[in-house]
Amino acid sequence: MSEQAAVRTDGLGKRYGSTWALRDCTLEIPAGSVTALVGPNGAGKTTLLHLLIGLGKPSAGRVEVLGLSPRRDAAVLLPRLSFVAQDHPLYRGLSIADTLKLARKLNPSWDEERAQARIERLGLDPHRKVSKLSGGQQAQVALTLALSKEPELLLLDEPVASLDPLARREFLGAVLEAVADTQMTVVISSHIVSELERVCDHLITLVDSRAQLAGSIAEIVASHRLLTGPRSDAASVARVHQVIRESHTERQTTLLVRANGHVYDSCWEQHEVDLEEIVLAYLGYRPGANRWEAGAEEVVPV
Amino acid sequence: MTWVAWRLQRTETLITLGILALLAALLVPTGINMANAYHHLGLSSCTGIEQGSACGQKIGDFQMRFESLTHLTDWFTLVPGVIGVLLAAPFIFDLEHGTYRLAWTQSITRRRWLASKLSLPIAAAVVAAGVMILLITWWRTPDIRLDGRLGNGTYDAVGTVAIGYTLFALGLALALGAVWRRAAASITVAFVGYFAVRIFVDTYLRDHLVAPLKATFKGNPPARLNHAEILSQTVLGHPHVHLQGPVGAGSQIAAPKGATPTVFQAVYQPASHFWPLQLTETGLFVGLAVLLIAFAAWWTHERTV
Amino acid sequence: MIEFHLDSRSGVPAYLQLVQQVRQAIRLGILRPGDQLPTVKEVVATLTINPNTVLHAYRQLDLEGLTEGRRGVGTFVAESRPAIPASDLRSLRTTLDRWVARAREAGVDEDTIAALFAEAIRPDSVSRVA
Repeated sequence: MSEQAAVRTDGLGKRYGSTWALRDCTLEIPAGSVTALVGPNGAGKTTLLHLLIGLGKPSAGRVEVLGLSPRRDAAVLLPRLSFVAQDHPLYRGLSIADTLKLARKLNPSWDEERAQARIERLGLDPHRKVSKLSGGQQAQVALTLALSKEPELLLLDEPVASLDPLARREFLGAVLEAVADTQMTVVISSHIVSELERVCDHLITLVDSRAQLAGSIAEIVASHRLLTGPRSDAASVARVHQVIRESHTERQTTLLVRANGHVYDSCWEQHEVDLEEIVLAYLGYRPGANRWEAGAEEVVPV
Repeated sequence: MTWVAWRLQRTETLITLGILALLAALLVPTGINMANAYHHLGLSSCTGIEQGSACGQKIGDFQMRFESLTHLTDWFTLVPGVIGVLLAAPFIFDLEHGTYRLAWTQSITRRRWLASKLSLPIAAAVVAAGVMILLITWWRTPDIRLDGRLGNGTYDAVGTVAIGYTLFALGLALALGAVWRRAAASITVAFVGYFAVRIFVDTYLRDHLVAPLKATFKGNPPARLNHAEILSQTVLGHPHVHLQGPVGAGSQIAAPKGATPTVFQAVYQPASHFWPLQLTETGLFVGLAVLLIAFAAWWTHERTV
Repeated sequence: MIEFHLDSRSGVPAYLQLVQQVRQAIRLGILRPGDQLPTVKEVVATLTINPNTVLHAYRQLDLEGLTEGRRGVGTFVAESRPAIPASDLRSLRTTLDRWVARAREAGVDEDTIAALFAEAIRPDSVSRVA
């Protein structure tokens, strides 16, 4: 597996009018990883994905995908990328077969056999019009298009939100099989945090248009701790480690920290934290506030 | 890409063909009928501006017989507007339904996509207009021989302006659609806009796109006024009294008293100005269309996310 | 062929669960030397987990000498140390069943049974002979 990052951003930002939908985004997504992009609605996940696929132009900073610029090098880059937009748009007047034909005509590297096999496996009639399919079936067709293009990087914008649990499983299964086959890099944006840990190996949290966490899940889980102890001030801990969330009862204080090395303070009991807890804490995290607050405001993309 | 663009345009193209077929269904039988009547009455020897009584009678009969039908076909000047805005629909739907996010993330660039998606409706517009022009020119042949081509109903349909109209309507719908991304609203407003601009141009600009000529004469109008479009007619020495009705001696009755023999002055567009007028008006509308389509392309390329 | 399952509540990392299941299967004779483990793709399809997790598990098993990977073919159970004879395992199991039945008759609840057992198998536990 190459060491090259599939995606690199540097101070990336996007503004609509006077509102920043994404800001100060600096991260790296390793090639071959399956990365979860997590955040509340309106946090900038769609905006980031649109910038990666070249649907929008950055207002600030730089973005590099597979070493190339998504807008400037679109002709060379697009054949290597796949994207399924939110609400998985398809041409409703076309049949499934015509939709596959459209994708075949528009993509130089297209695996027709694989596409047809998948449609068959899904139990869909190729002559059925897209408008007659359920939301879940449409999502599956959209994913078929994306996978049959054999991309190096697959970007999925909340693809499973409209699927029932069974369809969700199948959908993710198909994606992961493709990863197992081709070492494809995947970025899945989601606001559903469960399921992530078994599917993804990397994680990015976006809150309030900013990236809070970005790294491998193993490292994230290893570096976060839940500290419990008698009711006290978090200040001494906060001097060394980053306190993500603190809560107090009458007699007890609980802190979720990102440890900067080992936590030596013996008056705290240390526990491991699972990924979901960590992410949820970050979704309410405000830098400088050190306090858990209600979720992010809606930022308005067009 | 060509198959893709065609397939996504299929419905609207078929509707356009349907409209043209409907027109043909109306015009072909009636046109044959009219042509037969024309020859039957021996009107081919009656062209020109002479007011021979036998001809005058026959012409009057002929025109009365086909008057309502001709008036009906005058309304066909709206058809280029209908076809133009209709052909813009697939492009706008692509934006409205978000399917452009599918199209622009396959392997072709936005630019190539736009080029294909725009050139097809443009070509279809030109061809449809061309078919209409041929059809209506054939249908109006008797009328043209009798009255020339400068009358409003005829002028609209037998020269190249219909191409300009269709392209203008298409461009207007595309420009509105690119910004609003709502097909129904854009098409409706574009059609209303087309209608308004047509009325404005027809009323105020058309007759002056090429400089009109002046004629002064007594009695019957001279030959060069044959099949001309009379913009105004006055009596020499009384420039503020505009005469209505037939030219020259035919207006004797309306002339002010005490002015004998009456010398008439007419400002007119001669028949020979037909093509200069057509080409100028076509150029005007095509120029507008080019601006609008370029704007639609630019806006979609730069501003759409 | 072994069929994997994952318990997301157990707190045990996914790759370790796979390793443990393979170890257990070898122990019980469900997997014998020369048997092929499911391919990464098959596991991924069944469990919907990250392929790297499976690779990690298979690497671990390889390190422990329990399996060996053959390039382009798959991962196979290695030739092992002599297995426990099945009859021994059966008789041990029978004794265990009897013990559990006695404990239940005595009114011991399941959690206590499990705690007793866990205590007993601790390496440093001392067995006192009454």
